[in-house]
Amino acid sequence: MTRKHGWIGGLLAIPLLLAACSSNNGSNEAAGPNSGGSTSAASDGAGEPYELTMAYFTLGSVPKDQLLIQDELNKITKAKLNTTVKLLPISISTWQNQINLMLTSNEKLDLMPILGNTYANQVAKGQLVELDELLAKHGTGILEALGQDYASAAMINGKTYAVPSVRDLAQSYGFQIRKDLVDKYNLNLGQVKELEDLEPILKTIKDNEPNMIPLVNQAGGSPFSDTFSTRDSLGDDMGVLLNNGQDLKVVNWFETEEYAATLKLMREWYKAGYIGKDAVTNKESTSDQIKGGKGAGNLANMKPGYDVQESRQAGMPIVSVEMMPPVAKTSTVTNIMWGIAKNSDKPERALQFLNLMYTDKDIVNLLDWGIEGKHYVKVSDNVIDYPQGVTAGNVGYAGTGWLFGNQFLSYIFKGDDEQLWEKMKEFNTNAIKSKALGFTFDSTSVKTEFAAVSNVLSQYRLALECGALDPDKVLPEFIKKLKDAGIDKIIAEKQKQLDAWAAANGK
Amino acid sequence: MRHKQSNQLNSWLDCVLSGLRNDEERVANIMGSTAKRWKKFTPLFLLMLPGLAYLIVNNYLPMFGMIIAFKDINFSKGILGSDWVGLKNFEYLFKTSDAFIITRNTILYNASFIVVNTIGAIGLAILLNEIRQKFFQRFYQSVIILPHLISMVVVSYLVYALLSSETGLINKTILPWFGAEPIAWYSSKEYWPYILTVVNIWKGIGYLSVVYLASIISIDPEYYEAATLDGATKWQQIRTITIPLIMPVITMMTLLAIGRIFYSDFGLFYQVPMDSGILSETTNVIDTYVYRALMNLGDIGMSSAAGVYQSIVGFVLVLLSNYAVRKFSKENALF
Amino acid sequence: MAYENKSVRWISHIALMGFSILCLIPFILLVMSSISSEESIIQNGYSFIPKHFSGKAYEYLWAHWGELGRAYGVTVFITVFGTAASLAMTTMLAYPMSRQDIPLKNFWALLVFFTLLFNGGLVPSYLIYTQVFEIKNTIWALIVPGLLMNGFYVLLVRTFFLTSVPPALIEAAQIDGAGEIKAFYKIVLPLSMPILATIGLFEAILYWNDWFNGMTYVTDPKLFSIQNILNRIISDIQFLSSNSNLSSAAAGEVAELPSTSVRMAIAVVGVLPILIAYPFFQKYFIKGITIGAVK
Repeated sequence: MTRKHGWIGGLLAIPLLLAACSSNNGSNEAAGPNSGGSTSAASDGAGEPYELTMAYFTLGSVPKDQLLIQDELNKITKAKLNTTVKLLPISISTWQNQINLMLTSNEKLDLMPILGNTYANQVAKGQLVELDELLAKHGTGILEALGQDYASAAMINGKTYAVPSVRDLAQSYGFQIRKDLVDKYNLNLGQVKELEDLEPILKTIKDNEPNMIPLVNQAGGSPFSDTFSTRDSLGDDMGVLLNNGQDLKVVNWFETEEYAATLKLMREWYKAGYIGKDAVTNKESTSDQIKGGKGAGNLANMKPGYDVQESRQAGMPIVSVEMMPPVAKTSTVTNIMWGIAKNSDKPERALQFLNLMYTDKDIVNLLDWGIEGKHYVKVSDNVIDYPQGVTAGNVGYAGTGWLFGNQFLSYIFKGDDEQLWEKMKEFNTNAIKSKALGFTFDSTSVKTEFAAVSNVLSQYRLALECGALDPDKVLPEFIKKLKDAGIDKIIAEKQKQLDAWAAANGK
Repeated sequence: MRHKQSNQLNSWLDCVLSGLRNDEERVANIMGSTAKRWKKFTPLFLLMLPGLAYLIVNNYLPMFGMIIAFKDINFSKGILGSDWVGLKNFEYLFKTSDAFIITRNTILYNASFIVVNTIGAIGLAILLNEIRQKFFQRFYQSVIILPHLISMVVVSYLVYALLSSETGLINKTILPWFGAEPIAWYSSKEYWPYILTVVNIWKGIGYLSVVYLASIISIDPEYYEAATLDGATKWQQIRTITIPLIMPVITMMTLLAIGRIFYSDFGLFYQVPMDSGILSETTNVIDTYVYRALMNLGDIGMSSAAGVYQSIVGFVLVLLSNYAVRKFSKENALF
Repeated sequence: MAYENKSVRWISHIALMGFSILCLIPFILLVMSSISSEESIIQNGYSFIPKHFSGKAYEYLWAHWGELGRAYGVTVFITVFGTAASLAMTTMLAYPMSRQDIPLKNFWALLVFFTLLFNGGLVPSYLIYTQVFEIKNTIWALIVPGLLMNGFYVLLVRTFFLTSVPPALIEAAQIDGAGEIKAFYKIVLPLSMPILATIGLFEAILYWNDWFNGMTYVTDPKLFSIQNILNRIISDIQFLSSNSNLSSAAAGEVAELPSTSVRMAIAVVGVLPILIAYPFFQKYFIKGITIGAVK
């Protein structure tokens, strides 16, 4: 039939394209991700010039003085490694898409940050280079900065494909509230240990401040925040470990008594007006709500220096009380990591630069703060401030400290605790470590169920946890739907992988 | 020239009202044998070249990407080297208890959108055609495309301004006026089919009506003059002249809409309900389901599978509809 | 008859005025919230008469774009060039397709229509445009992919040609000695002003509003269009607010992101230029439309 001709014509053109694609892939296959470490290491020792492409994500807009930073950076890297670095900022909302595209089309890409929830998938899809050998040879600075526990936290099947950045690697948990309200009503924060203890405080606010919501939530998050409880979410909350991960049995979090009890409490609070009626559709951050005078306080994940940070964001003094001790789980460690893309022509050179990001103070501060004199001035040896006339609103460059390598090497900004990094280090070291720290779940074999369960979660979870629905009626419905979607299959698979991992790691 | 046109157009009037078949035959006869036709058309084929070239590069070549839906893409192996996995990437679309709901919602919404928007847009175009004062013509034309220019994200904020439980205009001002209780709009799923349809109309018909207006304006006023002389009312004129003469455009727009019946305006179904899970049963469509399922998986094979599924269903439906249209009036069919 | 015409006219005015108000009101709300203070938005939601006015949102925008002029320049260029090019391509493809006597008439229609239903996805398009044609980070990346010609418009124009251009006319011109191409631009095009104006308008809006090509193919800030910049900001905010585990790590940066009133200001700034320019072009549009009627 004449109709098909056009289609066939189109098909005939395809082999041309396929040839182009396969030759690209072919040549890369010859090099191979695993052999890259050993075969090119020798030739690279001579240090031929190379341009590294480092992608990273930006939030909102690309800083004005981006290129200046890149030039300064290249001065250092050229001297030390005979390497130039090309910075490639990408908006975070298109991050995943862009990386997939760049990897598929074999574009020049060496280093890139990894977000924890996509890590296992990226490894399963062959997007990352295996790092163990490279780390041993060129990455000693990285290993040292992280420490044994955290360095091995991102292993999949016994191999490392990414390293976490050095920052707050654990999380504690508590309640924060406007200081002026605490003073006004003489609120007793000291006795707050459990969620129930918050009731008198919330009631006082509700009774005396009619236009204020006592307990607000983050946009898209529930009031008791996603990690409040002693559970290790194992990355996705589809099967968790209880008791801060000291117990290696995977259970369905949504079926536990703890969950049911928390939901009941949230329901009462919702009905009493401690949680806003619009909590489910809220699109504002907690600090915006507090800043705008709409919210009084909220539950949050904490770390050292949290009060200062929050106060700055809300534009007024905030105080907090810690309700749960710091815990380190795989998800707190792997949420921001660095990896080397399989596209990289010289993985060893990439790792050498990465090593510098963990050890070289000049590089870290250049990437975090900008150029001295232009974007910041030194107030004392380790403390900085904005130069005259520069404010947070018009500074030409602002980097993300928790991203670029080793945050402990970064200068402290005026107003923050000068001992911040020491405290952070202690915080990381002394945190309770989940026994599953280092285990990452690979969902590829259950991805159909994963997709179905994701949908059920998005239907029920937020509304239940904000107290907008009656748990007595809806929770059983929710649990049933989860089972229909296959959550038990996911849990069984997770347990299987966990057991294997535990056996291999002597736990 | 006008005089000559008049005569020819009058004869054309007859042709139009009884089908274009006569015309086709006349012209074909003049054109001559097939070979001659091809030769005669060379300049026109040349005219088509840039467009065809673009279609091939922009649309047809990338179609090879549909194989991604049937593979388990491993980036180290590349697209071609990755393993075939048959229909596994399609499973998540059907294995869920929501498969029926999302399909039902998608079809019902789109069907009602097609009907309501078409009638609304045509109506609007007819009304616009009646306006004589230049100032109002320009004013209305500018204003009615305004909603189309505002992105869905912003529309969702504006809807929120109306429907928010605590600060929304309806709960705070309008309902108390009538003495009614405030309604938790974002937790009550039964209202949303209406809410979303209204939002969709508001956003779309101004823009759509421009297309129909352009068609209506091209109708020779002589028809209307003749009809008025014969004593036909406005409504009769609309029924017997306007609608039939723009029927090809209406048919084409409708067929195209049917082809996209499995696709939804993501912004409308995800942003406007503020991503509220409680409303799922009446607001979840195929596109939002796919988005939520893949947000944490990032699996391009599965997202490609969804696209292939939507395309195939749309294609089959269009073929069927086009066939049905052909039965009624051959010249209105797309092909 | 005169009476009926008058009442019809009144009904039309009332209905259209009603609908226009419905279109204008939300827009006014939008503008009002962009000049509201952040506090009044958070406390009272969006309102027509804000409790406190504030020009802060616009100050923020002004401070953040030294490159404002450049982005507008990029947008205007791709809109003008893109619209002209796409109008040309669309009509050149649609006209031959509309001739009743063209060989393989139905095949061409199906060829075009097929592209509206099936699509290989972003990955292969990206591959073709960046690896084969290498347009990444060039101005062509903003004009060519996806926007230069749209099958929908081709079919629309074709239908229009079919119904409004009598073949007898073309035939007559050829008898007079004109070639096919001459007949095309001397007779067919002038007769089709309404649809050309319509498609031109649609294409212009598509180009003006496009942020997708920019997001996908352009990383060099010098080539950012206005909508690209604006959309990056809004999408990032959205992304962070739905990704809570990231937002707790990024809490500091999240707080720096533009607030609600700024988002409203962003939307206003994106739409205003079209609204300001539209009346100037409208006279061609109306002229085009009325010429067609008077033919």
